[in-house]
Amino acid sequence: MASVTYKNVVKKFGDSTAVDNINFHVEDKEFLVLVGPSGCGKTTALRLLAGLEEITGGEIQIGDRVVNDVAPKDRDIAMVFQSYALYPHLSVYDNMAFGLKLKKTPKDEIKRRVSEAAEVLGITDLLQRKPRQLSGGQRQRVAVGRAIVREPKVFLFDEPLSNLDAKLRVQMRAEISKLHQRLQTTFIYVTHDQVEAMTMATRIAVINRGKLQQIDSPQNLYDHPNNLFVAGFIGSPAMNFFPAKLRKDGAKLVVDSGDFVVALPADAAKKYEKYEGREVVFGIRPENIHDVHFTPPNIHGETISVKVDVTELMGNEIFLYLVNGKNTFVARVDPRSKMRVGEQAQVMFDMDHVHIFDAQTEEALH
Amino acid sequence: METSKKSASLHKANLKRAALPYYYLLPAFILMGVITFYPLIYQVIISFTDFQTKDLLKQLSSPELKYVGIQNYVEIVMGGLPVQNFEFFRILTYNLWWAVTNVMVHVPAGILIAVLLNTQGLWMKRLYRAIYILPIVIPPIVVATVWQNIFDEQYGAMNQLLSVIAGWFGSADPVHIRWLNEYTPPIPWLLPNGPLTLAYYAMMIANFWLGWPFMTMVATGALQSIPKDLYEAASIDGASGSQQFWNVTVPLIRPAMIPAAVYGFTLSFNLFNFVYFMSRGGPARSTEILVTFAYDLVRNLRLFGVAAAFSVIIFFVALIIFLITNRITHATESYSEA
Ligand SMILES: Nc1ncnc2c1ncn2[C@@H]1O[C@H](COP(=O)(O)OP(=O)(O)OP(=O)(O)O)[C@@H](O)[C@H]1O
Ligand SMILES: [Mg+2]
Repeated sequence: MASVTYKNVVKKFGDSTAVDNINFHVEDKEFLVLVGPSGCGKTTALRLLAGLEEITGGEIQIGDRVVNDVAPKDRDIAMVFQSYALYPHLSVYDNMAFGLKLKKTPKDEIKRRVSEAAEVLGITDLLQRKPRQLSGGQRQRVAVGRAIVREPKVFLFDEPLSNLDAKLRVQMRAEISKLHQRLQTTFIYVTHDQVEAMTMATRIAVINRGKLQQIDSPQNLYDHPNNLFVAGFIGSPAMNFFPAKLRKDGAKLVVDSGDFVVALPADAAKKYEKYEGREVVFGIRPENIHDVHFTPPNIHGETISVKVDVTELMGNEIFLYLVNGKNTFVARVDPRSKMRVGEQAQVMFDMDHVHIFDAQTEEALH
Repeated sequence: METSKKSASLHKANLKRAALPYYYLLPAFILMGVITFYPLIYQVIISFTDFQTKDLLKQLSSPELKYVGIQNYVEIVMGGLPVQNFEFFRILTYNLWWAVTNVMVHVPAGILIAVLLNTQGLWMKRLYRAIYILPIVIPPIVVATVWQNIFDEQYGAMNQLLSVIAGWFGSADPVHIRWLNEYTPPIPWLLPNGPLTLAYYAMMIANFWLGWPFMTMVATGALQSIPKDLYEAASIDGASGSQQFWNVTVPLIRPAMIPAAVYGFTLSFNLFNFVYFMSRGGPARSTEILVTFAYDLVRNLRLFGVAAAFSVIIFFVALIIFLITNRITHATESYSEA
């Protein structure tokens, strides 16, 4: 059981900086997900913690111990690799027992731990097989099993589900979450899949270009993104953005995109009043744009007219790709909507759920 | 009526189709018949005769040619040939020992050098890789001649080197070791059946130079196909450098190294040109291998019938070795997906 702390952590490969001054603290028993686009440095950040890369600057603590110069095996961590990295010549049992054997753990103890882990993961029947005789999902379980038997203080996962098919991925996602609850240990999990991040994490750290963008609970991250990058990265389909200007229109504070003008409700107006005249980016998530015929009650709606460009029927909802002047954007509307491609139509923005960012700094305005 | 006719023509067509591959194979069979099967059968026939130089002209129709049954074979195996220093089982044992010890030295050394050259951040890797191709491309006769000179009693580099080293320990006398001619074995009990003379050690050294690069080449290829994250997983599991070597490197290059070792074994077992040029099988046939002896039977002793019988025996020895090594190779499946 241990917390993990990154303090001003920097990692450079030659001239390029993979991890750029990252700071965060992970509480004991937390499930932290590091998420970000490809090449942003998440794997590198994790490997620094595992001791597989040497740290360029700053320090990493596991518990109260600075581990910069501690060998991987002495860090009390276990890692599940994206490729699983199972020893191909060893049986499943021996794969899981390998670390314990090296530590000269007594035979019965090894046996007990391996069978326990196998039980938890449902791979008891596979213990005598070689990795090549397993399916991708089974290999994945063995890799997790190998981590479990070490009884580490911190579990590290590097995109463990990315080689599985969509259905299995959903299933393993749930199993890893269950495992976390059962083991009551700190998990640090790297993925580029924001759905994985949202569904499993107690907190998510969003990284871009080696820099930590925001670290928060999934809901807070979704509702209150700190900046344009986080707003665009979390959520699918992504948030719609419109360059716009805040200005007064009579008593109201309005967002003027040049093509459409929408008014902010009173409480939001009060919050953003001080930014009047500022160049901003106006953001609204697709699910907060409704077909005018199917709007939820009691919202502060603003109607704008659009042309329907593409419709995607998803069964339980419809994705509409809409055009308004020079803007194209996506709406996620009620499946009963009758909008057709090429039609002129009306949609309603739910103005209680809008995001406003500074156009220069790309930071959220508060 | 109709149907039986139909089936008959069908049958014919099938036969035709079945015969087709053999037409394609025919040219190859004819060629092999002329250059392989004919000499082979001819050789088996003369192995049952006392074929000698005087029979060369008229060959099998020679009036003086006597069929002696299996006498040649018996004389080879039981002794009784008019040849000095020849005992079949001693030579066979030595030949196997020669091949095995070569492989036992070349394979580990090849792996070790490959691992060292595979170190990350090593300077001029490409240069080393170019250098170790050299022994493979230099003709064996050149190699043998050079090493023969190195082990020369009077002027050889080896004795000079040893003289210098002896000098450091206060000996002023030049070293005169008769590497290729001394008959008394330095370690008499090592292979009691066929004593290992100094020439054997000298040839081991020379053949080491010839043999390791191939093993290094194979091992380098195998090493580079080992995923890096296996080592990382092992280091998290707590494996030290040497434990990683024994638990990851060795098992993972095994599928590549065993066939290479088998190949090396067969190569050394029949290493005619090197052995012949370096020691001529001497001194007193102590470094003779089967193929060099067979050559000697024809070239110098002119016992063609015996030589033919001897070749047939070599053929069966090689066949047994082939069957055994084939099993070993098959037993080592690779760990890959398939
Ligand atoms: N060993 C290395 N040598 C040089 N550069 C490296 C090395 N490892 C990573 N990098 C660079 O560091 C940056 C971050 O890489 P990293 O593997 O951490 O990305 P990632 O966020 O895990 O991406 P992905 O989602 O594609 O796995 C990349 O620009 C990468 O090219
Ligand atoms: Mg990665």
